[in-house]
Amino acid sequence: MPGPEVHHLFHRPIADHSFSADRKILAVAKDSAVELYGKVAGAFKLKDELKGHDKTITGVDISPNSGRIVTCSQDRNALVWEPSPTGYKPTLVLLRIARAATFVRWSPSETKFAVGSGDRVIAVCYFEEENDWWVSKHLKKPIRSTITTVSWHPNGVLLAAGSTDAHARVFSSFIKGVDARPDPSVWGERLPFNTVCGEFMNNSAGWVHSVAFSPSGDALAFAAHDSSITVVYPTAPEQPPRAVISINTQLLPFMSLIWSSESEIVAAGYDCEAFRFQGDASGWQLSGTLESKGRPGLGDEREESALNMFKQMDLKGKAKDDTQLKTVHQNTISTVRAYESNDGNVTQFSTE
Amino acid sequence: MSIIQQHTSASLSDAWRTINIDALDPDSSQNFDTTTLHPPLPEINEADVRQLNAQVRQLLRGGDAEGALRGCLETPVYNGSESAKEAHLQTVTEVLQSIKASDMSPMLERIHQSPGGSELLDVLIKYLYKGMAASAGASGAPRAAGSRTPSTLTPQQTGFSQVGSRPGSTNESTGAAMSVILSWHEKVIDIAGLGSIGRCMTDWRKV
Repeated sequence: MPGPEVHHLFHRPIADHSFSADRKILAVAKDSAVELYGKVAGAFKLKDELKGHDKTITGVDISPNSGRIVTCSQDRNALVWEPSPTGYKPTLVLLRIARAATFVRWSPSETKFAVGSGDRVIAVCYFEEENDWWVSKHLKKPIRSTITTVSWHPNGVLLAAGSTDAHARVFSSFIKGVDARPDPSVWGERLPFNTVCGEFMNNSAGWVHSVAFSPSGDALAFAAHDSSITVVYPTAPEQPPRAVISINTQLLPFMSLIWSSESEIVAAGYDCEAFRFQGDASGWQLSGTLESKGRPGLGDEREESALNMFKQMDLKGKAKDDTQLKTVHQNTISTVRAYESNDGNVTQFSTE
Repeated sequence: MSIIQQHTSASLSDAWRTINIDALDPDSSQNFDTTTLHPPLPEINEADVRQLNAQVRQLLRGGDAEGALRGCLETPVYNGSESAKEAHLQTVTEVLQSIKASDMSPMLERIHQSPGGSELLDVLIKYLYKGMAASAGASGAPRAAGSRTPSTLTPQQTGFSQVGSRPGSTNESTGAAMSVILSWHEKVIDIAGLGSIGRCMTDWRKV
């Protein structure tokens, strides 16, 4: 596996990032603006800035086909940015939420997107032709706390959400006139809006930081604040799942996870590096880190002179400068995204 | 993207910022019982704890320290009276103190490798922290009525508490108890990792 490509953009935390389908444009949330970077000769150069939110942007997503960008922010609004010859044009979405929006993702059909919020609702937004604006329907029950993350099923109707009430849930977000009737799946057959198709929690009930459907959509994985990953294999609607596998790790909690195939999950978080999990319905296990050991610029410890060592001890109270982590990322990884997929996925992370 | 507002004297001052809007919202988490979020746990009463204590002691006398440790970690008192919880803590502390320092790591390693072992170590971490809290708290903490543990085993006052009296002759044994807890803590973290501390803090099932 080749080593990571590292692009250092700026010295600020990145709440979320997204690549366009051709991977030439990178959208990065920076404070209350989204910065668009274009790839020029292997490096990302700042091209455009989308300013429209008052407060910190919490989510950004580029739809793969239409190239529309949706952003959501702590100012309780979501904006859809339409590409046009003169630049991106924002349209306000009526979210009707009283608290910060926390997370946003386009559905695979690109006709809808879901916005998680601190208002204990998920706003499922779609475009209403006759009024010419984006409206939202709320998924409300039985959410008891802030939604931290959402993830779409490949069929574009089912939506998984993780919440600070320690549950990962699967909802139906079927909207008449927008969605085609989905094929029956392990999650359910008839799926009117706000059907709860599954509700899961793990033993110690930590906040759920990330959820993801497997590529086939028949399994769900979630990462919680108790440093665990839980994989759920449902059987049929209204029946207990055939397997719920929880892996408690010795590591710090994971903030984000993706499936790279039906039998592999990549997760990253407070340990500042990505880890690989492998398994299937009979069991899962941690199979190691993705961080390569012999990265250039690392590991070549210079031999110190005794004088220098005592000087450092005197100045800093320690002989070695240990403020640098041995990982590519020097702070918590907040998002992991699939970057390229041809059977197996290559992942791309956002940095500090 | 702010909504245009009519400025009044009320909106110009910052007083509205201090309104607790959660109290006004019937759906807010302040206004429902958070325990309803979790499935209920089986209740364990004091008699069960005492029975377990007797079994654990028997194992200890028989020289099976690992069995004793497993035995008391497999049935943590999550849902029970304060005195039952306190009594179980005594049992755990007793077992921990009876295990030699050199046996700790291999024993923990074996437990961790066994199926469900990481859960057991998570429980152990919870008891270690409870033990520290009990010793850092007031020495007059409610003693379990049915506990037959000699008071020398009860960790009471440590150097952590600045409020209490400075270590005197009575505190020597409690200091020893604390050092036992601390060395266990170190060994458990070596094996179960930082994740177990995270789980101990996150977990809603308190011992």
